[in-house]
Amino acid sequence: MAVKKDLSINYLGVNCENPFFLSSSPVGGCYDMVKKAYEAGWGGVFFKTVGIFVADECSPRFDQTNKEGLPWLGFKNMEQISDKPTEKNFEFMYRLKRDYPDKVLVATIMGSSDDEWKQLAKMCDQAGADLIEGNFSCPQMTSHAMGSDVGSTPELVKQYCKAVTSVTKTPFIAKMTPNVTNMILPARAAIEGGAAGISAINTIKSITNIDFENMTAMPVVDGKSSISGYSGAAVRPVALRFAAQMLQDEILKNVPISGIGGIETWKDALEFLVLGCRNVQVTTAIMQYGYRIVEDMISGVSHFMDERGYDKVDDFIGKALGNIIPAEELNRDYKVLPNFDHKKCIGCGRCYISCYDAAHQAIDWDEKKRRPNLNDECVGCHLCLNVCPVQGCITSGEIKWKEGRKPAEIALKHNFE
Amino acid sequence: MSKVVKAKYTADAVAGFTPRTAMEEAARCLLCVDAPCSKGCPAGTDPGKFIRSIRFRNVKGAAETIRENNVLGGCCARVCPYDRLCEEACSRCGIDRPIEIGKLQRFAIEQEKAFKMKTLTAPAKKKSAKAACVGSGPASLACAAKLAQVGYQVTIFEAAEKAGGVLTYGITPARLPQHVVDFDIKAVKDLGVKFVFDTKVGVDITIDELKQAGFKAIFIGAGLWNAKIPEIPGNGLKGVTNAIDFLKAARESKGTFDPGKKVVVIGGGDVAMDCATTAKLLGAENVMIYYRRTLEEAPANMNEIQYATSLGVTITTNFAPKEMIGNKKVEFAVFKGRDGVSEAKVAADTVVFAIGQAPEDLTKIAPVKVTEKGTISANASGKTNAAGIYAAGDAVNGGKTVVEAVAAGKEAAAEIIVYLEKKEGVK
Repeated sequence: MAVKKDLSINYLGVNCENPFFLSSSPVGGCYDMVKKAYEAGWGGVFFKTVGIFVADECSPRFDQTNKEGLPWLGFKNMEQISDKPTEKNFEFMYRLKRDYPDKVLVATIMGSSDDEWKQLAKMCDQAGADLIEGNFSCPQMTSHAMGSDVGSTPELVKQYCKAVTSVTKTPFIAKMTPNVTNMILPARAAIEGGAAGISAINTIKSITNIDFENMTAMPVVDGKSSISGYSGAAVRPVALRFAAQMLQDEILKNVPISGIGGIETWKDALEFLVLGCRNVQVTTAIMQYGYRIVEDMISGVSHFMDERGYDKVDDFIGKALGNIIPAEELNRDYKVLPNFDHKKCIGCGRCYISCYDAAHQAIDWDEKKRRPNLNDECVGCHLCLNVCPVQGCITSGEIKWKEGRKPAEIALKHNFE
Repeated sequence: MSKVVKAKYTADAVAGFTPRTAMEEAARCLLCVDAPCSKGCPAGTDPGKFIRSIRFRNVKGAAETIRENNVLGGCCARVCPYDRLCEEACSRCGIDRPIEIGKLQRFAIEQEKAFKMKTLTAPAKKKSAKAACVGSGPASLACAAKLAQVGYQVTIFEAAEKAGGVLTYGITPARLPQHVVDFDIKAVKDLGVKFVFDTKVGVDITIDELKQAGFKAIFIGAGLWNAKIPEIPGNGLKGVTNAIDFLKAARESKGTFDPGKKVVVIGGGDVAMDCATTAKLLGAENVMIYYRRTLEEAPANMNEIQYATSLGVTITTNFAPKEMIGNKKVEFAVFKGRDGVSEAKVAADTVVFAIGQAPEDLTKIAPVKVTEKGTISANASGKTNAAGIYAAGDAVNGGKTVVEAVAAGKEAAAEIIVYLEKKEGVK
């Protein structure tokens, strides 16, 4: 029988059947969508952001980046918060909580003044939301009193968190914008203002492609375009970095963080969890593939737990965080030479080209045999391993200790996908 | 000059995927809303779901989907006629070419083995009733697995010394390596299914004895083991053989069997292609297939025809066998043309008839009603005229694919469960 594990986790006092959530976005904007998502297996949703402001949207509003035939490497979105009437959204949420009491419902809100934030928070409580999230991070709002312009100003974040937490006891989560150099400052401000959790990251301000037909960016709206939020697989590394930095911060380290950014697979989700996030949120992959992707997240993480002998999600949360250290603390006493398996090698020479043009000219090319040979110039950078198209052909080989450094046991990576 | 494939008898005809190439192929999948590939699989293997699992890096989940739906997922990955089932249904055909579903299935099952996964389980507490399966081919194995998974005690009775039936004795190992067959059978054994070898039901043990021994339901998946050889002059000469004996001899000799330099195979189905490739891989220099109809009418899978011709096998159509000539040992095979005027006389060291197989006398196994062709009369869920006796697979359908036998074996198991619960009061 299929491996089944207990994936439940407590998040801000709420029991979640699994750590997989929809993020506040187009994928969770009405009753029927969320109902389908719940039934597909998602543990909970962050409902599409509701404001007093009702969005007036442009058309079209999406674009995507790709590379060598692979679509949706990154995704651009110009949609703002909900374009449905405020009351209608809360009615959806009320019905969802009534019909799916065991699923987690987070109401995400965005105000443009203390009063609006308070008003919205009260409506969340009336609708019966388990948690409230404050959107301080949408980068494409048509009002500068909302969205990432607020989120990049710690004082405003703190002020609005205070406004919300002054009228509700429901735990409040502040959603951060990555359009800052240091996320710790707005995140600390949110906690000071009474927020109990942090979500990160919202989308990155971007121009994805230039359209030469209209000489503007994509998507083209009446011959013009705007800078707006970038998401998808391409932003995951940025999201992981922000999550790790906050989780390693003295003040934020015990604050539950919800990880967002480019998650498509169970492995992507697991990356956020082993850094210390207590759950993850997904949008772009759902826009591309649908709610069904949660099936393989549940199954994949269950198999991981089965393989490693974990009984609950809490057993591996944060396992990798301690191994992310400052660059100055890395062991720099040795180099790992690449090992070339000439039998697996197909003779494309990509390692030779990259090593010569971008590294240390450490590979000699045997023109007759069409095979690479390492020379003494190798510094162990492994650019060759990263360009090799054949799995398991270039691997970690001999370890060379720098002169005067003491050899010791070291941990290496052996399996590359 | 044409480049003819040179291969060893026991070497894999096609290389498998690595995790990286499997991912590249899975990424080509369009992940269709209604997965026509899944609808195209008779056994319900659900490629739409397992390809999605590979795409989302959950290869263990992919293996689970395959194994749970099709206990012979490893074998089917090798021998299924994809080009007329799931791959033909693939929406990607509208862009370029279908997803290589068979190869992805093979990859997932190889990973199941590499990870030492134990996908199928049987309850520790067994049900009171025992069931018997006659034969250990695809239909019986599928039926036995389904019954064992819900707690029935199942015993398979096999006339040969090794399990697998047609999988073990009837297909060339280049297409279906024995380790792949053995790994699938291990999944059945691990469910607690017992195997009794060298025991032919109806000869070594009777159906009544099985009933007395407490078997409350009996499934017959005896296959087709009577080779057809036409009544033509010279059909008894040495060197004239049939597909069953020829493939079995090759398989048992592990590739050391010598068919001579010139081999003529007669027939137009997958078995004929298997005989021809086997002869070629065993070292025959000149292997010729003769078929009485056209290629369009031939039942063989196009992939198998292409594989045979890639090895240098020739196919001559519209010629039917007329007589075999030789002094004790065959020397020539003579064919008459479909046009009524042409004739061909071909020198041969071995002539293999691969023109279809018939059942042995199945009424010897049990008092079941049989058709004119000798196959068992059973409905779609395997029910025969005799109470408690079920049948499916080639012995019922007259010889179809492995995946159809698996599907029918599963169906019969479901019917047997209903029977045992209702009639025998098994809980």
